[in-house]
Amino acid sequence: MRIVCLAKLVPDVDNFQYDHERSALIRENVRLLLNPADATAVAIALKLKADSRAGSVHTVTLGPRSAMPHLEDLLRRGVDRATLISDPAYAGSDTHVTSHILAAFLSRCGFDVIFAGTHTLDGGTGHVGPQVAEILGIPHMAGISHMDPESLSEGRAQVRVESEEASYTFALQLPAVLGFAYAPEPKLPFIRYEALKRDLSGRVEVIDNQALGLAPEQVGVLGSLTRVRKIHVKGFRSPNTRFVRPDDEGIERVYRFLREKGFVR
Amino acid sequence: MTRRVLIYLDPEGEADSIQLLEAANRMYGATGYRSYGLRLAGTCPQAEGLLDVLLQVEDPRVRPYDAANLARCVEAAHRKHHFDAILIPATTFGRMIAPRAAMRLHVGLTADVADIHREKGRIELVRAAFGGRMRAVVAHRGRGPLMITVRKNTFTLDARIRRSTDIAPLVVDGITEPEVTLVERRPAEKAADIRESEVLVSGGGGIKEHFDQLEKLARALGGRVSASRRVVDAGLAPRRIQVGQSGKTVSPRLYIAVGISGSIQHVMGLKEVDTIIVANTDRNAPLCSLADMVVEGDGMEFVDRLTKRLLKGGKG
Ligand SMILES: Cc1cc2nc3c(=O)[nH]c(=O)nc-3n(C[C@H](O)[C@H](O)[C@H](O)COP(=O)(O)OP(=O)(O)OC[C@H]3O[C@@H](n4cnc5c(N)ncnc54)[C@H](O)[C@@H]3O)c2cc1C
Ligand SMILES: Nc1ncnc2c1ncn2[C@@H]1O[C@H](COP(=O)(O)O)[C@@H](O)[C@H]1O
Repeated sequence: MRIVCLAKLVPDVDNFQYDHERSALIRENVRLLLNPADATAVAIALKLKADSRAGSVHTVTLGPRSAMPHLEDLLRRGVDRATLISDPAYAGSDTHVTSHILAAFLSRCGFDVIFAGTHTLDGGTGHVGPQVAEILGIPHMAGISHMDPESLSEGRAQVRVESEEASYTFALQLPAVLGFAYAPEPKLPFIRYEALKRDLSGRVEVIDNQALGLAPEQVGVLGSLTRVRKIHVKGFRSPNTRFVRPDDEGIERVYRFLREKGFVR
Repeated sequence: MTRRVLIYLDPEGEADSIQLLEAANRMYGATGYRSYGLRLAGTCPQAEGLLDVLLQVEDPRVRPYDAANLARCVEAAHRKHHFDAILIPATTFGRMIAPRAAMRLHVGLTADVADIHREKGRIELVRAAFGGRMRAVVAHRGRGPLMITVRKNTFTLDARIRRSTDIAPLVVDGITEPEVTLVERRPAEKAADIRESEVLVSGGGGIKEHFDQLEKLARALGGRVSASRRVVDAGLAPRRIQVGQSGKTVSPRLYIAVGISGSIQHVMGLKEVDTIIVANTDRNAPLCSLADMVVEGDGMEFVDRLTKRLLKGGKG
């Protein structure tokens, strides 16, 4: 069983930079972190491998070169192979283009199942999983909170999805894209001391558009079907904050404030 | 020119789907378009009398959770009727159907549209970006319908105009045997929904061991308790009362946050909250900058004292 994990590095939203002229996120020099839901997906894949239910775990990332140290980190945690798809021509790609680029690679790389996150922290659209599945013509499920490890060997996967209305158990025919929701467990395995010295050469590859051969008008800003036209950096609200302490006086002021606002009759 | 708008009617979110009529009103004005609903036969009866046309999928192989086949249905409906806009509720399954349908139609898709304006005849779609820090105006390029998903509670349809509804079967080519099958569905226990409460008393990491004691303050104010993810991840509160990006978006009139730092993922869940009161030992916690009032000190002391004060009542 070969598992391919779609793993995106997202800018740390607390420290991002934005290019107002180009209406694009400046992805170079921004602190990156592995998208939390993708980390859950990779952790589940590695657990399956540790339990001998999966043969190999391969991560695929579309992003800037600065993702490299993160991918090496994943290799030290037990991922077998990492691919970084990186090309300046891909800058500014929306989810439609991103899905085409990822699918172009996936359709030639070989997999039995694709793991992904349900959505990312930065874009957060959750479009990439279903769109990759659509291009590859395979089923997809998002919001997976649990997967039955035993079901995975039989050419199908049984997964659980929790929504507000219900808890569903679905069986999907493989190959499929399985989109996992972020969960605090399982966590990525720790890096063992021996792994620090491991030779990673040959296990990370960087490929660009020469390898994938997509037409220039199909990628990047040109190929995108949506574009961010304006950005409002909004102060969410900036009230006149009053400070009090939880002593008699302070509580009285809170009480009076609640009365004024009509929350206390 | 009369526009045509398609709304996908998700049987797992019937009311939320119908609310999307209000999104269409914002786009073209209440009388500027003809509304089409796409539904599976035998579902969403409430749409009758509210939408102009119901396109009905009668092929039993199409199930409400089978996004691949439903995307084919959306495509077939569009090929036949050439919509100006396709609106899909951001329900569990709507979120999976919309991207696949957009891919089939080769059109852009804007997710979780938070606001819609018309400016000089052009429709502006607004969504939150970068973790709620910013609002982005998104433009669609190329030909084809304007395709969006909208979260629950984003638009409220107040004037329900009664219409006579034509029901027409939709024939869809290329439907396949489903590759996803439902093994089991257990309804979530219908618990009180924090989104319906005008007052929320919310607890976070700073007071998590005492979380259960917030209930009395909430009750004294006629509200409900909610939580940050720190409390939920610690197993001290159920996921359904979590506020934030991976929880719920709430718009209470009053939000009292006790021991919550105010990370961006938490704040994303606060939409148009009238009044915010924060109790925190740290007056520089990020949430304090959004508060009308900050009670600087121990959160449980605040909860105990304010509850007593409320129960005592009067002018004091
Ligand atoms: C993908 C993703 C999605 C997420 N989604 C959500 C989400 O939906 N909702 C959410 O809430 N979080 C979410 N988070 C987590 C979020 O980043 C924060 O970790 C979380 O909100 C922190 O919770 P907290 O503020 O309650 O706890 P902490 O960060 O631990 O803050 C505790 C606060 O309590 C104060 N305090 C300490 N002692 C006291 C006391 N005695 N009295 C009063 N105050 C005290 C401290 O000063 C501090 O400000 C998400 C994270 C990720 C990565
Ligand atoms: N640039 C990318 N590289 C690799 N995987 C991605 C990329 N963008 C999105 N994905 C995958 O698709 C999921 C959904 O992303 P999104 O549609 O951006 O919310 C993520 O959790 C990843 O698993």
